[in-house]
Order: sequence, then C-alpha cells, then structure tokens
Amino acid sequence: MRMRQAKISFLVTILLLGSVVVSCIPGQGQPATGWSGTAFYDGIIYAGTLDGRVVAINATSREVQWHYSFAEPSSGGLSCGQSSVSTAIYTTPVVDGDLVYVGTYSGHVYALTIDRGTERWVYPRTGSIGAIVGSPVIANETIYISSSDGMVYALDMSYGDEKWKSQRLADKLWTSPTVVGDTLYVSTFAGHIYALSAGTGELLDWSFELEAGFASSPVIHEGTIYVGSFDNNLYAIEIGASEPVWEFGGSKWFWAAPVVHEGVVYAGCLDGKLYVLDAETGDKMGEYDAGSPIVCSPVMMDDLLIVADESGDVHVFDLNAEPQDKATLLKAIPIGAAVRSSFCAHAGLVYIRGEDNWIYVVDIDKGQVSQLLFLTSEG
Amino acid sequence: MLSPIALWYLIILEPILNVLVALSHILFGQFGLAIIALTVIVRFVSWPLNKRQLRSTKALQDLQPKMQELQKKYGKNKQKLQQEMMKLYKEAGVNPLGCLWPMLIQFPIWIALYQSIMRALAVTPENLLALHGHLYSWEVVRQAIPLSSQFLWLNLGQPDPYFILAIIVGGTMWVQQKMTQAPSADPRQQSTTRMMTMMMPLMFGMLTLMFPSGLAVFWAVTNIIGIITQYFVTGGWGYLKFGSPFQSTPANGR
Repeated sequence: MRMRQAKISFLVTILLLGSVVVSCIPGQGQPATGWSGTAFYDGIIYAGTLDGRVVAINATSREVQWHYSFAEPSSGGLSCGQSSVSTAIYTTPVVDGDLVYVGTYSGHVYALTIDRGTERWVYPRTGSIGAIVGSPVIANETIYISSSDGMVYALDMSYGDEKWKSQRLADKLWTSPTVVGDTLYVSTFAGHIYALSAGTGELLDWSFELEAGFASSPVIHEGTIYVGSFDNNLYAIEIGASEPVWEFGGSKWFWAAPVVHEGVVYAGCLDGKLYVLDAETGDKMGEYDAGSPIVCSPVMMDDLLIVADESGDVHVFDLNAEPQDKATLLKAIPIGAAVRSSFCAHAGLVYIRGEDNWIYVVDIDKGQVSQLLFLTSEG
Repeated sequence: MLSPIALWYLIILEPILNVLVALSHILFGQFGLAIIALTVIVRFVSWPLNKRQLRSTKALQDLQPKMQELQKKYGKNKQKLQQEMMKLYKEAGVNPLGCLWPMLIQFPIWIALYQSIMRALAVTPENLLALHGHLYSWEVVRQAIPLSSQFLWLNLGQPDPYFILAIIVGGTMWVQQKMTQAPSADPRQQSTTRMMTMMMPLMFGMLTLMFPSGLAVFWAVTNIIGIITQYFVTGGWGYLKFGSPFQSTPANGR
C-alpha cells in the first residue's frame, strides 16, 4: 500500500516537474504584460500599468488621484513560461467628458469616472469579448473598439450599450480603427482594409486587399490612408482605389502609425529610422537613424515632432524646417528606459511610460528628464 | 564575439524559424501544414542518426531473451549480473548507450523547432513585435507574417478545447514507448517500466491541455513518424503486440 502511494506521489511529482521544465525552456517568447501609454487631460495623466491598473496622476503635484485595478487575483502556480498578467492593458486610456475609457486584454471595455476612478460601466456586462489590443477611438458620440475576436464594436459612451458589432473581419484585430465622418476604417493582419458604416457597422462597398498583412493602424489624411505593413512597406492608399498611390520600403516593419502633417508623412520604422516622405508622391525627403526600433507613433507638439525609440532616447525634430532639413535632429534626450507605449505631450512636457514601469516627464525645451511616478502595485 | 545565446539564435533557431514561416506561406498560409512539413523535413534530415538509434534499440531488443536468462541466473548477485550483461553486449557488438547519443545530438534541433513554433505563433503582442528581430528579409517570409493560427478545428495559439489532440499525443506516445520498452522478469523493474510507459504519455497529454495546440501538432506528428520509422526499421510492432519478443520467450528462459 505504502509502495503504491509512493509511486503515485512520484508520478504526480514528475508530471508537475515536467510541466514546469517545459514551460521554463527559454526562447519560447514573452508573456502578455501590456504596453499601455499615457493620456493627458485637464492636468491629469492617465496610464495603464503592467499589473493591470489604470492610474490617474496629477501632473503638477505628482500625486496619484486614484487607481482602478482590473486584475483578478493571481492564481500563483509553478509555471514560469507564458504566465501573463491576468488583465494586461495594451490600450492607451481615452478621455472624453467625465469618463476615461480603457480596453483590456481580458476582453472588457471599462468607463471610469475621471474624478474618482469609479466604474460607470463595463462592456460586456457578463462574459468577455476577444482580447483588446488596439486603443479605443471616440467619434460620433460613440466609442469604437476592435477586438481579437476579429470584430469591431460600437458602444454607447454614457451607458456602454452595444450599438452594433461588425461581422468577423479577420482572425484577430490588434489595430485601432479610424473614423472619418460616417465611415470607419480598419486594417487587418490578413492584409485587408475594410470600410464600415460608422452608424450601423455594415460593410461598405470599398475594401482594399494586399498580400501581406497590415501592421499599423490606418491614418487618414485628405482621402488617403497611410498604413504600415508586415512586408516592410508603408502604403498610401486612396480611398476607393484598388491600387496603392505609392509604397515606400523600409528594412523592417512599419509597426507604428505614421503622422501626416502639411503634406509630409513622418513614419517611424522598426529598422530604427524615421522616414520623412512626401505625402503625395511617397518620395523620400529625408531620413534619420535613431539607432533603435521605433515602436510607438511620433507625437506632434506645437512646431515639434517627438519620436521615442526602444533604446530610451527621445528625438526632437522641427516640423517647420525646410523640406531638406525636416529629418534633421534638433535634440536627443535619453530617458534611460525602453519606450514601446504611445505617449502624450502638453505645454512643452512629454509624458512617457517606460518599459521599466516609470512615468517620465521630459522637458523638451530644457532637455531635462524627471521621474514622475513608479507604477508599483500600490500606485 | 557572439554570446552562446546569440550563436544559438543565429545558427539554429532563426534558420528553422524562417523556414517554418516560409513553409507556411508556400503551404497555402496553413501554419499547421508548415509544422507538419517541417517536422517531416527535420526527421528526414536527421534520418541517419535516427536510423542508428533505432538499430541500436532493435539490437537491444534482440538481446532481451538472453538478458532475461541472465537475470534469472544471476538475479541475486548484482555484480555478477552486471559483468555478464556487459560481456553479452560486447559479444553482440552492442553499446547499451548507443541509442542515446543520436538522440542527444538531435535534441537541440527539436528544442529549436519547439521554440520556433512558439515564436512564430506570436500568441501575445509582445511575441509578435519581438518576431521582427528574427526574420530574414526573404520576400516569402515578409508575405507570410503574421501567420494565421487557424488549422482544422484548432486555434494553434490556444490549447485544443476538445481534448482530441491530448488523446492523440498521449496515445501515440504510449504506442511508441510500448514498441520499445522491453518487459523485465524482475517484478519491481517491470512495475517501474510500466509506470514509465504510462508517465510520459500522461505528462504530454496534460501538457497538450496547457500549451498552444501548434506545439501539440508537432508532438503528435513526431510521435506518428517515430512509430512508422520504428515499425519499418525494427520490423514490426516490437513489444506492443501480443507475442512480442519477450512474450515469445517464456520467463523460464526456454
């Protein structure tokens, strides 16, 4: 009897150890931890943390106003492989009126009050939709969100009621939709750009198809869609056309959505370069080598273009420079932490969440960096 | 000077990863087919080693009746038994560890294949982003990314919800083990062997329920190819079928 018990114990131990060993073999990838960015609204910085919370920080006093946790209690366990934060946040909070909206990797959209961070509504009220990676978009008094279940959802901003959900457009949607007027555009990993009625979610007649998948969210400027692809190209696609107006090749993916300003496209690439292109022709006006992958979109602040890279450097360019000087660096400010999350800028200050989970404040004029807050689990 | 990890990526992991991605594009965008094809290719390339391993196993199987006799004869004198067994191996020109080293040489390739599948699946956004650093600039690779995770009834990035793969992985592994593991005359050793034969299939069946099904497809194909090659190289079902080499030789050492 004792022998039998020993054998069963041995068997169970081996099973557990085997699970741990296999899950611990290095090289199988990184768990989902999230890369939520920062949003600035009325003196408050909103950011998602690596432990599944949204934090509101007073930009002046640097005090935490409130924090709201989406994280479910950790189950612990022995695995060291693909364990993920129970509610990773990839979306950057979006503020409108008295609510801040956040989508979570667990497949929920939350609306929290901006004054206290209390939950106004959650969608869906029971269960969940697919994981949300692309940030929500607000237009036409509606919040639009794409999901890993391959559908786009339109929700009522005040109550979180579902206005419509689209048909399944792809295996998964990890990019943000873009709304122009009554039309919503969404790019897919399968290489489609779909146009949907923003009011009903119905597919419109026009769509665009490419053999390679689209890596970035679409940016629309004067009837043309600018979007990065997994085939290392940036495309300009006229809405309604079946062929791109132009394509520009980098040496890695254009993962971040480009910025278009006064006829010029500024596109950060994972090859570490910022490409400055003529929006009409796609001709290269200049390029700047940041030396490290540019994962998040550039941000405009007054007459400046701010670019952050994965090595933790913030690069500043003059938007008003002569065409041949648009890619000429004004200054580079190292913050010392990798940047993957989208960031915001206000009144000469740039607020960045580094991959070390600190929020940094970069004073562009003075070229100074200070740490605003470490986003620990206690906030 | 590259670090060992960088060398691992450069020489082993990245070539396998890129071939896997390219195969996926060639095979109609079906990543599941790419996993199957690459497993077959790796098996084919490592065939000389594999054949050697199987022949060593077969040679050991053929010695089993004589081994049983020795165990009967010298069962109580462990030292003598050891000596006689070594003598028997020497006479037959068999190295008892001969089936191990070809397996050890193949081991890094299998680990790289496993890692490539996990990386190519890019289950999380971090994994997808990290993938760009390991891909070649081949046109076929650029067109293939990101891979579609749908294959038959499976989402290759998620465990099989219907337990079908777990049964296939566990079942095929049990068959493969059963074909090679010789029963022993010693009841204690026999009990250990029986437990080992159950343990591995159970463990992998359980892991199949926890890991992305793309990996389970790889395990299942590996097992099936293992069974087929074993069948043809060793000439039959080995110890699986009734009337196996052991059972055809009664325990009294006829």
